[in-house]
Amino acid sequence: MKKYLVYILTVMTMVVFGLALNATAEEGVTDTEIHIGQWGPQTGPAAPWGAVARGTDAYFKMINADGGIHGRKLIHHYFDDAYNPAKTKAGVKQLQEDTGMFAWVSGVGTAPGLAVKDYLMERKILWVGPSAGSRHWLEPANKYLFNTYPLYLGDAELLTKYAVETLKLKKIAVVYQNDDYGKQGLEGCEAELKKQGLELAIGLPMNVADVDMKPHIMKLKNSDAQAVLLFVGPGHVARLQGTGKAMQFEPQWMTSTTCGDHPLMMAITKGLYAGTISAAFGLMDPTNIGDIADFNKPTLPAMVKFYNDGYKKFAAKEERWGSTFAAGMGYVEPLIEALKRVGRDVTREKVVAELEKIQNFKSAMGTVSYTAFDANDPLCRIGQQEVFLVRAEPDGTSTILTNWYKTTYIPSGH
Amino acid sequence: MDMKRDYYEDVRIFTSGAVIFWTGILLLLLAIFPFVAKNYYVYVVNFMAINVIVVVGLNILVGYTGQISMGHAGFFAIGAYGTIVLMTQAHFPFLLALPSAGLIAAFIGFLLGLPALRLEGPYLAIATLGFGITTTQIIGKIQMFGERQGLHAPDLIIGGWHIKTDKDFYFLLIPITIAMVIIARNIIKTKVGRAFISIRDADIAASTIGVNLTYYKTLAFAVSAFYAAVGGGLYAFVLRFIEPELFSMFMSVTFLTMVVVGGLGSIMGSVAGACLLGFLDLQLRNILEIPYFGDWIRMLSESYFTLTGASNIQLIVFGLILIVIMLFEPLGIFGMWIRSKKYWLAWPF
Repeated sequence: MKKYLVYILTVMTMVVFGLALNATAEEGVTDTEIHIGQWGPQTGPAAPWGAVARGTDAYFKMINADGGIHGRKLIHHYFDDAYNPAKTKAGVKQLQEDTGMFAWVSGVGTAPGLAVKDYLMERKILWVGPSAGSRHWLEPANKYLFNTYPLYLGDAELLTKYAVETLKLKKIAVVYQNDDYGKQGLEGCEAELKKQGLELAIGLPMNVADVDMKPHIMKLKNSDAQAVLLFVGPGHVARLQGTGKAMQFEPQWMTSTTCGDHPLMMAITKGLYAGTISAAFGLMDPTNIGDIADFNKPTLPAMVKFYNDGYKKFAAKEERWGSTFAAGMGYVEPLIEALKRVGRDVTREKVVAELEKIQNFKSAMGTVSYTAFDANDPLCRIGQQEVFLVRAEPDGTSTILTNWYKTTYIPSGH
Repeated sequence: MDMKRDYYEDVRIFTSGAVIFWTGILLLLLAIFPFVAKNYYVYVVNFMAINVIVVVGLNILVGYTGQISMGHAGFFAIGAYGTIVLMTQAHFPFLLALPSAGLIAAFIGFLLGLPALRLEGPYLAIATLGFGITTTQIIGKIQMFGERQGLHAPDLIIGGWHIKTDKDFYFLLIPITIAMVIIARNIIKTKVGRAFISIRDADIAASTIGVNLTYYKTLAFAVSAFYAAVGGGLYAFVLRFIEPELFSMFMSVTFLTMVVVGGLGSIMGSVAGACLLGFLDLQLRNILEIPYFGDWIRMLSESYFTLTGASNIQLIVFGLILIVIMLFEPLGIFGMWIRSKKYWLAWPF
């Protein structure tokens, strides 16, 4: 009888102990795996941005091939949302509730991200590196949402400063997409011009569906603009530069980080992009001004490793090596760094604590810093605030024009 | 079989005891569903229910009145923006803001119906297409509507009930959907519905027997717009964020496809079409997860197609399903139902 009692007590102890262990286990983390989710359009009009998710996938596979993080493999779950917020929300809910994600990374687009932001934040689920430079991620700051993509405000600030101070141009115009992205470009440019004591030559809104660029070029010509900042998509840059050339209007074109893939831009503009100055958020080293950077021959140690051990080994055979693909690594590096620092005992709270300790972290992107959470301080979650400028050369390479420049944060409505 | 012997049989909402029985079973299943299903599937059903509201309304216009609309995403957007703006700017409670936005859309639908009186077929399709595109362009330029930067839905509180989860929203949405479907069925059973049908079948003949074409054609547009706007108002709270780009031409085409796949001129067909295509729209994303088939598709894609070929397979499968339904049953899902019902009732002859 005693013997049976011992058996029963042993089994009961094991069950209770097992339940207790299970209760403390972190969602999405097992002894051997960490599950991380991501969405990105693989189909539809925004499909070119799908390379971000594929880049992250290759990066995680590279980490796993090197032994993972503290003995755990990163299990990457990414799905195609076709840039449709209803699908983004469906996919996020399904993966979160069926499989259980420890964290979410990147995620292309402002609208898809906003459709799931509240869902993730209310459940205290970590989200690192949204793939869009929007103030929506920072106002208000969220404890579990860490931005890495520098805001477009900063691109406009540096481009305007360079045009006025270095190129000595006085008439600056902006063509901006009529949305969050474009309006940040307009706002950043106007703020910098005000500092310089100048006024905007002209600000022209553009809708995504606009096809005919002649009215825009005509207005730019009439404004005598010497430099034109383009906060539009790559397709519209190509149309504007093509129409500008045909109408003999060739100012100093300047573009945001979204058009920083120079080989691609040279191809879609049929060479007209040469001479265009664009903002860059990293993936190359801007330390030596005047150097020629060839994206196909990376020099930053993180990029060299990713090119050789990530892209070459794990990317699909038709995958193009470009900044969109490589950014898939750049956006998520702070999370990987925090996971490395936190050790074996991985919980969201501990990873958040480690992320908050990240100061002046630099790898493939610019300097990333976070501070302790303060809901009223957007800067505690802004991550990267610096960008630099490059000029596109006819052979698809880029000339470094400036070193890193720390941009100014302008809150919404100021 | 379904022969009506008198007028009262014809106007009954529930045509037989069996229909009442199965409706009861359906309601029971809907009541217990959120307690047994995973939260994700509750979200999917919410999404499907919104499609049901819009598609039932669109079928009143397309299937029963014989008009066409390629711009229902415009009415959907008016409902979504109208509900949020009325709640946040005019401080309307949700239960007032939603029908008010529907009435605004109905008025705009009435206005759109006026030029539509002189248009038919492809010309009407182009006019309504233009309406859908223009609506989102205008919304994108109005500051009160957040321009291109979109709007956040406010917290949804009805009385003391704070609707936060998908399950909460389900208990708000499903009764609204059921009510809207019953109202649509009722409309079709009345003088108004018969006028719609007579216009569809032969508008000149309808006019000669006293059906006011101007009144009923514009009314069909208004009713249909009201339904779309109510759907839009609810959609804003499913996503909790809206922007003009969401309400694209593709959305209008999808609604129309749901009507045709479900079956023109059938309320239950609309419900089936909206549920099937709404479900596929969200679920075909998982096609690569199907054991063996998913692996085979992935291998096929990597060997013969492009990088994202495997992702595009969901669109191909979606298209194939539509083609197969239209090829074998032009009356859509409703036609399949009628055909199988007749077969079993006449069996073994």
